[in-house]
Amino acid sequence: MVVIDHVEKRYDTDGGDVLALQDIRTTIGEAEFVCLLGPSGCGKSTLLRIVAGLIPATAGRVLIDSKAVEGCGPDRAFVFQDYALFPWMTVEDNVSFGLAARGVPADEQRRKASELLKVVGLGDFAGKYPHHLSGGMKQRVSIARALVVEPRILLMDEPFGALDAQTRSVMQEELLRIWLYYKKTVIFVTHSISEALLLADRVIVMTARPGRVKSEIRIDLPRPRDESEPRMIDLRRRMLGELSVEIARSMQQETEAASHA
Amino acid sequence: MIETAFRLEKARPKPALVRWLTHRDTLLSSGFILGVLLLWQVVYSLELMPKWAFPSPGRTFQSLVELLLDGSLAKNVGASFSRQITGVVLAAIAGVPLGIYLGMSANFKGATLPFFRMMYPIPGLAWVPLAILWFGVGFTSTVFVIFISGIWPIMFNTMAGVQTLSGQYTDVARVYMAPSGLYIRRILVPGSLPFIITGLRLTYGVGWRVIIGAEMISSIVGIGFMIDDARWQLRPDIMIAGMITIAIIGLVTENWLFDFIERRTLDKWGMKASPM
Repeated sequence: MVVIDHVEKRYDTDGGDVLALQDIRTTIGEAEFVCLLGPSGCGKSTLLRIVAGLIPATAGRVLIDSKAVEGCGPDRAFVFQDYALFPWMTVEDNVSFGLAARGVPADEQRRKASELLKVVGLGDFAGKYPHHLSGGMKQRVSIARALVVEPRILLMDEPFGALDAQTRSVMQEELLRIWLYYKKTVIFVTHSISEALLLADRVIVMTARPGRVKSEIRIDLPRPRDESEPRMIDLRRRMLGELSVEIARSMQQETEAASHA
Repeated sequence: MIETAFRLEKARPKPALVRWLTHRDTLLSSGFILGVLLLWQVVYSLELMPKWAFPSPGRTFQSLVELLLDGSLAKNVGASFSRQITGVVLAAIAGVPLGIYLGMSANFKGATLPFFRMMYPIPGLAWVPLAILWFGVGFTSTVFVIFISGIWPIMFNTMAGVQTLSGQYTDVARVYMAPSGLYIRRILVPGSLPFIITGLRLTYGVGWRVIIGAEMISSIVGIGFMIDDARWQLRPDIMIAGMITIAIIGLVTENWLFDFIERRTLDKWGMKASPM
């Protein structure tokens, strides 16, 4: 269970103090799939990085099974938006990097990596280098790299944001298949309402900066979901209503910032 | 039989050498070199320079062939080359770790970089007299001069490589809690390789530039010695033959060696070489 307890994040910038996140409170259950949805610049990625332990909160704390997060841990893995694969490592070495970091013997690294590569459908690409792969394939490698260390919590920062629409929908289906199989807790950052609707058990809608929890919307619909179903259309309309105010505010903030610059 | 004939008739791609020889840039650059040789010959024939100090191209190439045949060129090139390689390798062995540490530690950088930057512009040749005092005439003092003038480019470039490495790679290392040894070995060094290779190229070039001067003063063998020694024999043809040798060796080894390293690493990984 992940408890986000009054988390706040401030940044010192040249233009003064910026409040990025304000009083974030929520609890994420075991094997729950939660989407953080919000306009750009609302701090949803910042929140994810705080949960990962990559950056500290300036106030409040994150608890994982009642233990406060102080830095990264073996219970969490992170999938980055632009894959962050190492170009100098083969696909297999990329996948087994987390195992190498843990001192797992080489033959076991290889065995687990090839198993995970099969899970993500890249069994034949172990010896290739990342630059030979398409965006969707790279993100599969990145997901395999995260899963191979057997984390309980999978943190995903707009993982499909750079993919074209077709690849994106394939990847969403694959992710659901993997999630149903491994039953991980997933915290998934997105700015796409459709993506949140298709994937999440619960959507946390965030406000424009300073990011706060605007509302939480539970989606109790079986997967795979059909966007044209009446209840999905209702949910979409509701989310769009909540989000459009924040997007308008966020755009206003951006134009103001630009005119000051 | 039919099958063999058929196979012979199939169009083959031109061999690499033929492609290179017929490339437009190759034709242009060799044309230019021919022009320079022609100009050289004209200056010689019109006696614009005194003949005892200005050899003809023909005489120079004849000397080059003689030096090649009597084995003295091989002996001198061998001596220079082994000093060059030793000096460059030592510069890399010291410069790469120092550059990595400079890139990683703000304190180390703050303390040492101003000093290193002061050392950098000191010409390699300024070290020669001191090197002779410290190490005597010969191999060690020449290697020292190459090392002390070659360490800076590789060090500064490695530092730049570490500093410009994407923060995302570091994030990945942190997420998976990579120990610092693994992080340096498998992320920092390969990730900085475009810069490290550029630094090595520069160091290699610096080495060739200082070695000749160093050998003129502090050696009894080597290309630099050969060139300097020719002065006492009034043999400008040998001097120029020595210079041509340096140019050819420098060009060939630099291109082949570093292009080879780049093909085996950066090209294979789809990474770009850093700008010089």
